[in-house]
Parts: sequence; C-alpha cells; structure tokens
Amino acid sequence: MRNSPFFHFLTLEFFKERKKHMGVIAISLVILFLLSSVLFISSSIRYSLEQTLDQEPDFVVQRIQGGERVSVPTEWMDRLLEIHGISSVTARVYGRYFFKSKEKSFLIVGVDFMDEQSHKALRTIMDEVDLREFLKGDNMLVGGGVSHYLKSHFYPKGYTFLTPKGAFKKVHLFKVLPRESNLIANDMIIVPIELAQEIFGMNEEEVSDITFNVPNDDEWANVEDKISSFHYDLRVITKNDIKKAYENLYNYKGGIFLILFLITIVTFVLILYQRYSMVYSSERRHIGLLRALGWSINDVLKLKFFETMMVVIVAYILGVGLAYLYVFVLGAPLLREIFLGGANLHNVITLVPVLNFGILSSIFLIYAVPFVSAVLIPVWKIAVTDPKEAML
Amino acid sequence: MSEILLSNQVIVYLLSESILFGLLLIAFIITLEILIKWDFGSYSEQQFRLERRAYLVMTILLFVFVVKFLLLIYFVFAIDSLSLLVPGAMCAAGVISANDYGMLLLLLKLLILFFLLLWMAINRYDLQAKNYPLFRIKSWLFVSIFLVIAIETGVDFAYFGHIDTLEPVNCCSTLYGQLEGANPLPFGLNTMILLILFYLLYVAVMASALSSQRVSFMVALLLFVFIAYYSVVYFFGTYIYELPTHNCPFCMLQKEYYYVGYLVWGALFVGTYLGLISSVMEIGLKVERNRERMVALALLSIFVLLCTGFVAIYYLRNGVFL
Repeated sequence: MRNSPFFHFLTLEFFKERKKHMGVIAISLVILFLLSSVLFISSSIRYSLEQTLDQEPDFVVQRIQGGERVSVPTEWMDRLLEIHGISSVTARVYGRYFFKSKEKSFLIVGVDFMDEQSHKALRTIMDEVDLREFLKGDNMLVGGGVSHYLKSHFYPKGYTFLTPKGAFKKVHLFKVLPRESNLIANDMIIVPIELAQEIFGMNEEEVSDITFNVPNDDEWANVEDKISSFHYDLRVITKNDIKKAYENLYNYKGGIFLILFLITIVTFVLILYQRYSMVYSSERRHIGLLRALGWSINDVLKLKFFETMMVVIVAYILGVGLAYLYVFVLGAPLLREIFLGGANLHNVITLVPVLNFGILSSIFLIYAVPFVSAVLIPVWKIAVTDPKEAML
Repeated sequence: MSEILLSNQVIVYLLSESILFGLLLIAFIITLEILIKWDFGSYSEQQFRLERRAYLVMTILLFVFVVKFLLLIYFVFAIDSLSLLVPGAMCAAGVISANDYGMLLLLLKLLILFFLLLWMAINRYDLQAKNYPLFRIKSWLFVSIFLVIAIETGVDFAYFGHIDTLEPVNCCSTLYGQLEGANPLPFGLNTMILLILFYLLYVAVMASALSSQRVSFMVALLLFVFIAYYSVVYFFGTYIYELPTHNCPFCMLQKEYYYVGYLVWGALFVGTYLGLISSVMEIGLKVERNRERMVALALLSIFVLLCTGFVAIYYLRNGVFL
C-alpha cells in the first residue's frame, strides 16, 4: 500500500472541498441522465422488437404492381408447397380499417385457423383459444389498444364493420391479446380469413400475402432465389430484411439524438473549461503550499487527475443509476413517446431492462473523454504554479 | 445519410477520436516549439516555461494512451455490432474488409499503441533521470506518433464513411477458411511444423530473455508473434470454436465464446509490446529494463497456456483431436 497516504489525502480533500464539485456534478448528472435514458429506452425497445421478430414467419411473399402491393392469388400457395424444405405455408389477409373519424385505424389480420401457423406468437395465442367456440360465429381477437379504444367508444362487446359493398358486418369481441405482444399487436384485430376478405371486399381467391418458414437457416438464400424466379411481379421479404430495417430505424432515432447531443457536449466542455480555470486559480495558494512542502509537479498532476476521475465516476454512477430508475422502474414517462410514436392508438408497453457493455461504455466514453479533455489544461496550469509566486 | 454514421457506437467512437486528435494537436504545436528552443543548460525564463509546457505534453499523452487503449477495444466491439447492418458479414472480419481502409486502420491502431507504450517507457526513465537525457528522442518520437495518429484519424473517417450497406461482403469463413485447397500458411508450412515452430519459438523467447541475449530475444519475439498469429487463426482458434473449419481471428471476440478473444489477443500483443520495448530500450538506449521484460514473459506464458489449455481441455473432454 505504497499509495495509501496519497489516497487518504485525496479523499479528505475531496470531502472538504465538496462544495466546489457540487455544481459540476449537478450539470453532469442532468446530461448523463438524459443521455442514458434515451439510450436505455432505445436499446430496450430494440431488444423487445428482436424478441418479437423471432416469432415472425421466416419469409413473406407479396405481389407487386407498379411498386404497390396488390393481392396474391391463392394458387401461388400450391407452387410454394412443392418446394422441399418449406413448411407452414400460411395465407394472410390484412389491411387497415379506418374508423369513422378517419383519425384512427385498426390493423385487421385474417388468419386461416385450420392451417398450421408460420407465426409462432400467433400459434401460442391460438393454442389458448377455444377454436370451436371461436369459429362458431363472427369473432375477433383484439390488441390492447383496440380493446381500450372500443370500450371508450361504447363498443364493449363487439364492433360493426362497414364493408365496401355497403353491408354491415357485426363482429363479436372474443378475447384481448396478451400485453407482451403490445409492441406490434397494439392496434391489431385478428379474425378468420373469410371474415377479413369480406370486410375488405376481396374475393375468396385472393389473399394479401403468403408466409412460410424454412427451418434450415442455410437454405434461406437458396429458397429466396427459387421463389423469386416463379413470377416477375413477386417480392420475397426475409426476416433478416425486417430486422435490418428496424435496426436502421432505431439507429436513426438514437443517432439523430446523439448528433444533436454533441452540441450539448460542446457547451458542457466550454463551461467545464471556464469553471475549472476559475476554481483552480482560486486554489493557487493551496497548490503553492503543497509544492513548498515538497510535492513535485507530477504529484500535483496526479492529485488533480484523481480528483477529476472521482467527479467523473461519481457523476457517472449517479446519472446512469437515476436513468435506470426512471426508464425501467418508472417506465420513462414522456420520453418514450418519442420512440413509440403514438400517432394512432395509444400504446402501453413495459420496457424490459437491458444493460450491456455497449451502452454503458458508450455513455462513459461520450461523457468522460470530453470531460477530462476539458479539464486537462486548467489542471496543468495550476500544477506548474511556482510555489514562490503563489504565496505572494 | 449513411446508416453506418448514425450507429451510436460509431458516433461515440468518432467523437472520441476527434477530441483526442484536438488535444494531440495542441501537444504537437507545443512540442515543435520545445524542440526548436530547448536548451537544458540555460537558466532563462523561456527555458523554464518550456519545461513547464513539457508537462502538459506529458499529461496529454498519458491521457491519450489510456483512452486509445480503451478505444481499440471499443472499436473492435463497434464494428462487431455493425455486422448486422453490412450484408454478408457475420462478425468483425466481414465489416473490417468492407473497404480497403479497414485492415489499414486496424494495423495503424496496433502500431500507434506500440509507439505510445514505447513513449511511456522512455518518458518514465527520462523523468527518473532528473536531467532529461532522452528528451529530444522522446520529443521526436512524439512528433512521429502524432503524424501516424493524424493519418489514423483521417482513415477513421474514410473507413466509416465508405462502408456500403448494400454491397455484400465476405464472412470470415470465406476470408480465412475456404481457399480452395490453397495453403494459407506462410512459407508453405503445414500445421504440424507450424505448431513445432510455435512452441520452439516460445522456448527460444524464454531462454534468450532469461539469459539476457537481447538481440536474439528481439528476433525470436518478432518471429513468435508472426507464427503465433497464424497458429491461433489456423489451429488454436478451431479449438476455441470447437469446429475444425472455422478459421477466424475475430469471432472469438464475440459473446458466444465468452469474449475470450480479448484475453488471447490482449495477452499476445501487450506481452510482445512490452518485450519489444524492453529490448529496444536496452539495445538502443543502453538502459536496463528488467521489469517490462518480466511482465512480457508472464503475459506471453499466459497466452501460450491459454491456447494449449483449449486444446488440452478439448482432448480431455472428447478423447480426440479435431
């Protein structure tokens, strides 16, 4: 323990002069808190999305006409079934149903309940549903947001849809989807496929798209090639494409924030530089004393460096800790709306705590490197003070 | 705007690199002034001012060294996380080879760390000696380090600015593995001879270090790093992955292998750096550096033990070699 008197002195000094550090720690706290909250929310949502995406079918086949998605004929399904290695081919019918006020819309998904489902989450939901009961009449499964919206508009038991042919279709609300699926299923209504076709005015030979799974990952590229060559107007989307799109979206949201945040960091650095120049110049006598007592320039540099590191680490731990509480315990009120984009139905999700080396080290670097850089020159200036000069 | 430049890790990394460059620029200008006007025998006001300024250069370099070291780890981590965005890449190997700057950047980083470490060792000795005997040498060393770092910072931006997220890259097994029967090892070696060389060179390094044969220590060390790199990629790596066809220096940095790559490569490179520094200082500057050499030997031994351990554990568990 060669250094222990030094560290003893350091801590004593730190506590004695704590008022001096309070201001800087307070500013740092605000900055760190904001930054970590945003990064925590973004990574937590990204994590939940990845979990949800794992449940999605591996492939989606669509038909494109003039760059727009149009209905797919059901005979395409039979072609797909002939390829080896493809399983759970499922037809889907979906689309947006605009509520009368035109401000809100539901996503209606029609599912063939008799087929084996390629969507794993749907499969588990279906296992819990009493199918015989469900298929008896016109029933629907709805997401949390839809259920809430219908209830507040006096449709507690079901809803009457208006089809393009002008007929009314009354559908009974069968069950509300579990809350874990809210990130994607918030505004979703699941109905039998025939019912969806009726609501959208499609005929029975048409579906929106076809999904299927390929259990062997190594065959994905192969299958994609094969299917693309079936028709000229066919588009295949793999799960990886969707994953990448989401990754880009959340990188974008977090990235724009970080770039704007750079301005704050620059201001912060300037404030720090000014403040430490001032604080240290009032400390000249103190340093002069230490130098007169036989401290070398290196010793003073070391003292000041460790002092700065203590401020950095205290602020870092407090800031990140507070952000953790705010995001994962309180659920990040206000701030998360930026990421969820609640333009349509209001969404309620639980943020899953995700902490990894990547986020923690990013926060530390973006805060500590500018901080210490700003303090280096003031620290040096005070450390090289001539003892004789300082005492005058 | 490019998706790569919006990735959080890339933004943080580039920001840190720019700040460090700014600090180094200040240090560089001061060093130039010092180099021109330095006269240790003089008692003028100016000489005292220069000596004080030298402390600023020292402080900045110390800070830069620590951060650069952390940033190297962070850099590898950042490109690893980019592998999702770059089509075809499954680990850092693919992202690094996404354009011509990647490999250059990685080599520059390793080189810079070596020279920074050398600078620190010289500086330490210089401060102990009271009359700054190595002052000019270390200042010139810093000037050259600064020039390399200037290039590196440029390459940083060039590299991240030119990663194409639409053009597919090769994954590590095509880069290092399947070469259609061609032998990837240098000098037409085969695995058996490579391993014999690996252990022989290790023994040579140890023996020459312990018997204070400085020149042969340095030569053996350089050869050892070279052979060790190939041995890890083409032999020991396969035991880390427990897959005979998986040759990749980067995948072992991932979570699936408990980040063991950081330990493997860290021990090898830091050990080599310290060994080289001790011999450079002993041969070139005629100073005794036993401590660095001992630490170097310890790290290299950890490296060899770790590599051998993976093979031994695999054999004990499965009763066969790959």
